[in-house]
Amino acid sequence: MKYQSIIVEDLQVAADFLSRFCEKSGVIDVLHHFLNAEDALQFLKENVVDLIFLDVEMPNTSGFELLDQLVYTPQVILTTSKTEYAYDAFQYNVTDYLKKPFTYQRFLESIQKVSKKTEQMDGGSEQDHMFIKADGKLIRLHNDDILFIESMGDYVKFITPVKKYITHNTIKNLETKVNPQVFMKVHRSYIVNFTKINDIQENVLFINGNMIPISKTHKSGVMQKINIL
Amino acid sequence: MYNEDQKTAFLFSPELDNDFLQELYGEDLPQAEMVFESSVQQLHNGQQVMDTRFHDGDLEGLRKIVHKVKPLLGYMGMNSFMEEFASFEQKCTQFQTAAEAENGYEQIKAIAGEAIKMGEKEVSRLKQHNTQHL
Repeated sequence: MKYQSIIVEDLQVAADFLSRFCEKSGVIDVLHHFLNAEDALQFLKENVVDLIFLDVEMPNTSGFELLDQLVYTPQVILTTSKTEYAYDAFQYNVTDYLKKPFTYQRFLESIQKVSKKTEQMDGGSEQDHMFIKADGKLIRLHNDDILFIESMGDYVKFITPVKKYITHNTIKNLETKVNPQVFMKVHRSYIVNFTKINDIQENVLFINGNMIPISKTHKSGVMQKINIL
Repeated sequence: MYNEDQKTAFLFSPELDNDFLQELYGEDLPQAEMVFESSVQQLHNGQQVMDTRFHDGDLEGLRKIVHKVKPLLGYMGMNSFMEEFASFEQKCTQFQTAAEAENGYEQIKAIAGEAIKMGEKEVSRLKQHNTQHL
């Protein structure tokens, strides 16, 4: 797995150094380097990343203030030349804390912590929400709010009881991203929240009055998943 | 007799923390050259900003710029200088007036000047080595 990351650092030398380490590691893609927190925040409103390398003291907005404004929680590695921020780092539940300048060996130890934390998060399969990019922003949707997801070519539609959200994605991609304890693919064009199924008739299931086809390929999977007494 | 190790071996100047620099850059001497060159440049710029902040009596601004340039000294293996900067940065939070900061600031200014000279010397040594051997 390659982690999609950004670097938020106002010291160019430190950012260059870090970029070089990321490239050398082969597991971190640096999407962007920002010299201030404001530009990074703007980027993070429209993009999702796995990891942020974040300096603490920057002009205007600090690294911690940036974290306060995030609507989702990627992993964070603080990069600072001060050890006094350790307590705050702990409070913000950051993955690691690198004191500048740090060696490649120390950097790799941090990446191992990121990897371990990712495994813990994935292993739990407890993810109860997802973020989608729609209406020009990132919107948090709880699994329980989603009735089903429908394909629209290069787009998908998230159906909730109150609203429909259209976002650029595919069912094929989402199939691997959604929590398998709640969602399942029932047709090449549909993923459903199976806790919301009202009834099933032959090759069709109903959720809140919506009729959703079940393909032959997925029929047995659906029948195994539901609790037939 | 030709020795491959002799061809590329580079020792940083004894006044720098050679062990740390070897650990930091390994065999990547072009990166060391780039980082030293950039650090000297940014330290030079930082020195000018420090001077402005001090003469404006902006002690928080002075603390911030000292904090910002401090790691540059670390990237050049000048760890004792970096500690001096860290100590002054800490003291800046306690100073009430620029007059109180004056002695410490003069020391920091002298250290920054010395660091720039040492850094420039190392850039020159690295350039020469990299041109000849890489």
